[in-house]
Order: sequence, then C-alpha cells, then structure tokens
Amino acid sequence: MPSDSELIPDELAIRVSGVWIRYKTSYERNPTLRNAFIKFGKREGRRRQVRIVEAVKNVSLDVPHGTVLGLVGANGAGKSTLMRAMAGILPPTEGRIVVNGRVSTLLALGIGFNPMLSGRENVVLGGLAAGLTVEQVEAKFDEIAAFADLGDFIDMPMRTYSAGMYGRLGFAVSVNMDPDILLIDEALSTGDAAFREKSTNKMRELVSEARTIVIVSHAMGLITELCNHAAWLHKGELIQTGAPADIVEAYMKFLNVGQSAVTLEDV
Amino acid sequence: MTATPAAAARKPPRDFQDRIQVFAPHRASLPPMRPYLREFWRRRRFAYELSRTTQKADHTDTVLGAVWVVLNPMLLGVVYFLLVAVIGGSKGSWVANLGRILVGLFTWFFAANSMGLGAQSVTSGGRLILNQAFPRALLPLSSTISAALMFLPSIPVYVVFYLIGSNLDHSATALPGISWALLWYPLLLVVMALECFGLSMVFATMSVYFRDTNKFLSYLLRIWLYLSPVLYALDKFKYHQWALYANPLAPVIGSITELWTKAVAPSPSLLIASVAWAVGLFIFGGWFFVSRERDFAVRL
Repeated sequence: MPSDSELIPDELAIRVSGVWIRYKTSYERNPTLRNAFIKFGKREGRRRQVRIVEAVKNVSLDVPHGTVLGLVGANGAGKSTLMRAMAGILPPTEGRIVVNGRVSTLLALGIGFNPMLSGRENVVLGGLAAGLTVEQVEAKFDEIAAFADLGDFIDMPMRTYSAGMYGRLGFAVSVNMDPDILLIDEALSTGDAAFREKSTNKMRELVSEARTIVIVSHAMGLITELCNHAAWLHKGELIQTGAPADIVEAYMKFLNVGQSAVTLEDV
Repeated sequence: MTATPAAAARKPPRDFQDRIQVFAPHRASLPPMRPYLREFWRRRRFAYELSRTTQKADHTDTVLGAVWVVLNPMLLGVVYFLLVAVIGGSKGSWVANLGRILVGLFTWFFAANSMGLGAQSVTSGGRLILNQAFPRALLPLSSTISAALMFLPSIPVYVVFYLIGSNLDHSATALPGISWALLWYPLLLVVMALECFGLSMVFATMSVYFRDTNKFLSYLLRIWLYLSPVLYALDKFKYHQWALYANPLAPVIGSITELWTKAVAPSPSLLIASVAWAVGLFIFGGWFFVSRERDFAVRL
C-alpha cells in the first residue's frame, strides 16, 4: 500500500491518472428473466445485443486545491461520466482517481431520493448517506432551508416541487455540506436570476476558502466568469486544458459558433 | 497535463488525513472491506431513517397503519386456518391450530417482506445511487429494518391471542402458558433478522440484473411458504428430515413456532441449522451484493 503522499501530492485535490471508463449498453432497455429465458438457446440470444461505450478515454488531470475547474464539451463528451468517477460513483475501467478531501456532489439528477417524502426528509437522508450524523444534518438544516428559500414547501412532498425548486434545494444541500471538493454538473441552469446570483456568490465564497470546485456547464459565460482553469473534453478525450478564456474560445471555434448571448447564457 | 492556476498555490484548508480516497478498477471483486464496513457502520442511521421515512410516506406509521400491517397476515391466517384445519381436517384444538398458523405467518412475513422490499431497494434507489457514493448494502439493510418494523407490532397481538387462547382451552393440545422457553425468542429473532438481511441482499442484486425478479419472487415465496413449517407443524418433517434442513427458513421458523405452541426450546440440531443458514446466507448475500455493487451505477 503506497503512502498518502505517493498517491497524491499535498497540493492536489484530485488526481486523475490514465482513466478509461467503458461500459456496456444494451439495446434491451431493462434486462429481464423473461427475456433471458425466451432468448435462451436462440442464436440471437447468444449474440448479445450490447455495444461497448467508451465514455472516457485515457484522461489524466491534476486539480490543485482551490481550483475552480470548468469542464466543457459537446453532449456525450464524457463530462458527467468523469464527474461521477471523481465522486466515486462509477469505478474507472482503467487508471486511477485519487481524491483528497470530502466530496460533495450536485450532479445532473439533483437530490431527492423519494418524491413522496418532504424536502426536509430528503435533505436529512442525503446528509446521512453522505456520512454526516443526525446532529450534523440538523445543525446545517436551517442554513440549507434559508439558502434554498422554499418557505413552507420544505415540508411538502418533493413531487409538488417545480424544477427550479428542486435545483435550489439541491444546490443548497451540496454547498452547505462543508465540502472540500464540490462537483457541480449542469445544476446552475435551474433557478431564477436572483438565485443564480446567490449561488455564484456562494461559490466565490467557497473558492476564497481554497475549496476545490469542478463545474460542468454549457454556459460559457459562467465558465469564464467563475473558473480559473478549464478543460475541454471531446468524445471522451481530453483535448486541451488552460485558462478558461482560451479554452472557451477554442471550443467555440471548434463548434463553429460565435460568442453570442445564446452560448454565454445557457437557455 | 497539470493545471496550475495562480489561485491554487494555497495550502489545503484543513487537515486532510484519512480523507484520501482512491477509485481504481475492479473485476467483480470485493472492495477493501475494512473501510467499507467502517463507512457502512458509520451510516447505519441512514438505513433506519430511510425505512422510517418510507413507512411514513406509506402511512404505516400511524396507529391504524400499524393495525393494517398486522391485519393483513391475521386475515390471511384465518384463511389458511380454514383451509388447513377445517377443510383439511387437522387434529387437535382449533385454538392451538390457529395460534400456530398465526405465529408462523407473522414470522414468515418478516422474511417475505424483507425479500420483497429488498428486491426493489436498489432498483428504486436509482437516483440516490447515481448521485452519491455510499455503501450500497445500506439499501437492503433498510428493507430488512422496514420488514422488522412491520413485524414488531404483531408480537403484542400474538401475546394477547396466546394468553386468551391458553385460558380458553385446557385440553392436552392447547397452547401452553408463558414458559421459560420463550427466553429463546429474542435470540431466534436475531438469527432471523441476520438471515433476512442476507436474503434481501441476494434479491436486491438479482433485480439489478433481472428487472422482473420481483414477479418471479412472488411465485418463489408462495412455494417457499408451503415448503416451510408455517401452515403445518414441525412433525410433518418426521420422515423427511432433509426437507427441513435443506430449507433455509424452515429450521428457524420451525423453532419459533415450537417455542410458542409447545413451549419447547429448539433442539441443538435445529438451532445449529438455523444459525448456520443465517450466517451462511449473510456471508453469501454480502459477498454477492458488495462484490457487484460498484457495477450498479452503470446498470441503473
């Protein structure tokens, strides 16, 4: 077992080394016993209808503490997959990811385990799953509720929430979990202008405390404004890293679109 | 490629010891078990809260909700009693027969609910699994806790039935009074819970690979019920001992019903079989689940 400093130098928050992520997708939506039984013996059953998807191809990336890294790339570039791997949700097929610090995730699906439960119960469950104690979650709860600003809805079942309310609560939870590393996937697009300003300010605050943030977004304005480093992924490969302005420019040129109001602001 | 932004030169804000996590490839093998178990134990409260809040969402936390949870096996107990004792014409006092069927069914439902809820625990937890890293075995644990919470209100109901029944009927085959043998009950329940958790993990994993496991499970559970000493007494196995010991749930359910209806402590062979099946299924279920759980996020 290598020592901690061999795994990851002190100044790094995340080290992604030579990571490949492949998975099988099946044409069959949900595998069932019934289908397995029916197909058994049939020739087409033997020739499994699967396709290997290479979501991330040989990506290496070092993220020092205090970095706000923006990940850009077209749909299907592997951004979300890479984020899930950093969070420890998807294991890499090859390579290694070392994370130094407590990770809080705000991924595309947001929080909400059970839509029948209230916002409050979902927050508590999420916190407990993240490894906090009941006391710690309760201590943070008022802060979270105040930040999300949902009023009475916090005690209503989450199925009654609008998309914006989902997003606000999700953001409030992930930034208030006292994370060392915050992974945000496309989650700032919900919420109104006022909430967006509040969330941007909160992220600045986290950066000033040398927390590390990784943001996946299609809002180029947000990337250039908030990030101090950017990486561009395309079809699973890391194309370029560098200053956000340069990366955004290269990426825009590649996509063959100008820097219009539409690309700066996600719609 | 190394990112070197100017703002990043600061040192880490807090003590980072013991917080380094490594995510590396796997081949259907177990993750490092010591950290896994530590994280699992640390988050045990999550499993409890999950089952408590889910029950609340299903409105089974109210008094009437609890009555309903008990009423279901009780009504089914009456149905089976009519079927087995009246139509089938079994011997002995009807109070004792009904009493045996009730305690058998209550215990059986503990296992059946644990398997049924467990089978859905991972597939219905997709959102949480895709968004957060935590020991996934907490989800089937939560199902077993739910099954236990549904089982507990049946104990006082049964105690009342048992006390009234033993006073109504004084024949030789009647229900016995309160006896020392009942001291075995808590131990047998712990054995039962361990086995339920093991089975819950087995079916939770199966449903990830076969989404219709639940449908198949409903047939399996019915067959399993008829093969277990729930509707009939343990002495049915007199000439087919192997059928008793080959059935993972039969020794423990049989021991529990004998305890209540005959006030006899479990025989050493029954006790050993119960514990062996429970520990075996717990270890097998744990290995089956934990060695595959990192695959779940891809398959959901």
